[in-house]
Amino acid sequence: MIERWALVSGLKGDLDTYELIQKDLKKTPGNITLFVLGDMIGPEKNCNRLLHRLINPKSNDLQPWCIYGWWEEQILLESGYRGDQRAEALRINKGEEVVKSLTNAVDKSFLDWIAALQFGFVELDCGLIHGSSKDVGENLTLDTPPLTLLDRLTRLQVNRLFTARSKQQFHLELTEGIVNSEVEDLNGNRKKEQKVPQKAVIGIGSGKNYTLYDVGTDNTQFLQAGYKSEKRIMGFGGL
Amino acid sequence: MNQAVISCLHANLPAVEAVLKDIELQGITNITCLGDLVGYGPQPNEVIELIRDKKIPTCQGCWDEDVVDGLDACDCSYPSQLAEKRGHFAHQWTTDKLTKENKDYLANLPYSIRKDKCLFVHGSPNSQHEYLLPDMDAFAALERVENARAEILFCGHTHQPYIRELADGSIAVKIKNAASKDIQEKEIQLPMRRIVNAGSVGEPRHGGTKATYVVHNEVTNEVKIREVEYDLELTCKAIIDAGLPPIFAWRLKNGFEFAEQAEDASHVCER
Repeated sequence: MIERWALVSGLKGDLDTYELIQKDLKKTPGNITLFVLGDMIGPEKNCNRLLHRLINPKSNDLQPWCIYGWWEEQILLESGYRGDQRAEALRINKGEEVVKSLTNAVDKSFLDWIAALQFGFVELDCGLIHGSSKDVGENLTLDTPPLTLLDRLTRLQVNRLFTARSKQQFHLELTEGIVNSEVEDLNGNRKKEQKVPQKAVIGIGSGKNYTLYDVGTDNTQFLQAGYKSEKRIMGFGGL
Repeated sequence: MNQAVISCLHANLPAVEAVLKDIELQGITNITCLGDLVGYGPQPNEVIELIRDKKIPTCQGCWDEDVVDGLDACDCSYPSQLAEKRGHFAHQWTTDKLTKENKDYLANLPYSIRKDKCLFVHGSPNSQHEYLLPDMDAFAALERVENARAEILFCGHTHQPYIRELADGSIAVKIKNAASKDIQEKEIQLPMRRIVNAGSVGEPRHGGTKATYVVHNEVTNEVKIREVEYDLELTCKAIIDAGLPPIFAWRLKNGFEFAEQAEDASHVCER
């Protein structure tokens, strides 16, 4: 049986999109595991129905495995789940109205569930996170320096890092590289050549744009809920 | 022009005096200190006052921060529970001894100091508690310097002096994105960068008993590690007289490595 991961993020309370994705996945062959990499909530719409569905899946739903994202971090900050800190970055960048909209969009009864979510999952040799291994709010994009990407992979000690924060869909593979290191200390000098291990960072998209990852072949497919077949014809197979 | 970089003084006054004397004998007036003025040693106020008197630019070390803010590093800093207990005892002893004025001084030290292409930090640009060990992953080491926008990163914290040059680097990538069917390939050249660890003045962990620091020539970029002998017996006696754990004196006297450090260089303390 083909083992596939469906990687979703940025639903921001959009139950319709979640249902579309569930519908797509039911038609997808193979054994599918659904990961929701944060930003289930947002300030734009009431998130309670989606949160209720994630916590209480319908009998024919794929069970979602959720982690927290940047918006969850903001509501936890604002609700006092992170000590004395509040969502100041959100307040400064988006204003008090957005902070209010966010707290109004999520019923307080869901906060304990959100607070219990993990920062990320490590499955096989893959890290599944919202932002980066450094920070939930860090954007990893195609333009992020490869040295930074390699560091974020190294921190989690994984070969594949799935990230959602940038909203972009991409597969960036570090194929080769080298750096020469020379250390001088009280014992003398030593030189070492270190090669880049083959690793990849995958941007999974946001909202209707999600990613299907074939665990056995390392192939990624960038999909859009409701338009899966067309996207597949475009052929975003593995590198 | 030469500059001297000192680190991890750890309230060891005879060692600090000997190193400052050695720097003076070389005619160097430009000195930067990478923190950890206190902790383990018996003369925290005296060491702080000496550094203050000489107006030596100093960044805040992990001990300086913890004494002010309370212990907030996770127990990764210690190799054993016994070591952790000793560390906590020394922390409390130091907190009790420090004057308010000296605590305020430690509280107001900057996290880093930048001078042109040089960045000075205690642990790493990420954290005062992160160890940049001499043989850590070369790409991760290079990332620390590059993302801090420095050419030379001066650090301490490990108590092991070293100079590390990272050169001739490159990374090749293949990129595929949802907006295009094409696979793009490119190769990025990495800049040459250096990490210089000043070792420790007050609590060396290099297998010997001598205090260490580094001298950097800003014109030639040459860096030299200097070892300085100091009156070890005086410090050891002061440790015992102060009621600090005798093992602190024993390890200084024998130059043994039984000090507290994390083994995982990539680990950053969770707070």
